[in-house]
Amino acid sequence: MRQSAVRLGMLAALALAAPIGAQISVPSTPPPQTRAGGSITARPPAGPVPHKPNGQPDLAGVWLRRAGIVNITQLLPPGEKMPFLPETLRRMRSLKSQDDPQLKCLPLATPRSAPYPFRIVETPAQVFILTESVHAYRQVFMGRMHPPADELQLTWQGHSIGRWEKDTLVVDTVGFNDLTWFDNYGHLHSDRMHVVERFTRADLGHLAVAMTIDDPGAYSRPFTLRYTAELIPNGELMEYICDNEQDAANIDAPADAAIDAAKLLGQ
Amino acid sequence: MKRQPLARRLATIAIALPLASAAISAHHSFAAQYDATKPVEMRGTVTKVEWTNPHARIYIDVRDDTGQTANWNFEMASPNILVRNGWKQNTVRIGDRITVSGYLARKGEHMAIAGAVADATGKPIFASDPTDVGR
Repeated sequence: MRQSAVRLGMLAALALAAPIGAQISVPSTPPPQTRAGGSITARPPAGPVPHKPNGQPDLAGVWLRRAGIVNITQLLPPGEKMPFLPETLRRMRSLKSQDDPQLKCLPLATPRSAPYPFRIVETPAQVFILTESVHAYRQVFMGRMHPPADELQLTWQGHSIGRWEKDTLVVDTVGFNDLTWFDNYGHLHSDRMHVVERFTRADLGHLAVAMTIDDPGAYSRPFTLRYTAELIPNGELMEYICDNEQDAANIDAPADAAIDAAKLLGQ
Repeated sequence: MKRQPLARRLATIAIALPLASAAISAHHSFAAQYDATKPVEMRGTVTKVEWTNPHARIYIDVRDDTGQTANWNFEMASPNILVRNGWKQNTVRIGDRITVSGYLARKGEHMAIAGAVADATGKPIFASDPTDVGR
């Protein structure tokens, strides 16, 4: 079954590769549908970076991040540690696993990801990042500025503006509330968080993403998280309505972050 | 702790499943909700399938050695992850006799997380790929 899935995935990749190579984001002929939502066991397709008619890399596609879901530190450079401020450790020390906003079906904020794909859609004035998890979307306003500080609303996903630097889409986001966690572990942030994401299509099947977190309200210095997302051949976003959450009521345990924060605080 | 004797009676085979079992999801911390030291395998009849997020759930009636029947709630991965691994909404139907292996919940009564599912003949009907996301 797995071999069959891989073969189907490769066929799907070939079907997808030709029109993208021709600088067309949407295939003129619908590719064969092999599995609803696409297969996540298929390997990402190989090939060169596709480009839009204006010469910029085409980031369109359904992408899957596999790393750093449970614990964001998996995305740090080897040996690097999170630069917690003492107050952040004190906040983390009291966290309960069942208090994770994700267990209330609330939105996830960058840099957090669930193990579900996202789709990038580009228009001249906006880039949309559609996330399957909790059916959310992000709007990236190209070539614009953030609102003045007194007009900036603090929201779950913040306010994002974008620009191209050579072959990299740079997304700058501020205006987060302080209610989300970075991961299941329980890493926290403040509402002063500023995130700069850099999306670079490495080849047809891979999207390199670097996220620099500058949050003077929670961390003593900026730090950068990196992952490579994989293109899901024939990928489609699927419905994800979180209408049957039973876990929060059946968990009564400290968050992993609480246990480690207590150790770091010497308690 | 009160559950453990019952679980032992129900566990027709207690096997050391690897932690990376099929339905262990990134939706929540595995260790916070389930006990990796209490693997179970249960045979029973499907009474309900919930094809929902954040988790699909299979409910099965399981009879223990004393003849008592209890309805167990097995947490699966999300439908989205199951489908992308080849599972279908009707892969398991009400009335099917299945065998489910997994781990007991720490808190919820008659709750467990499913690792692998086999049909009445013992043929695996869900075996997740170790490279799947969501674990």
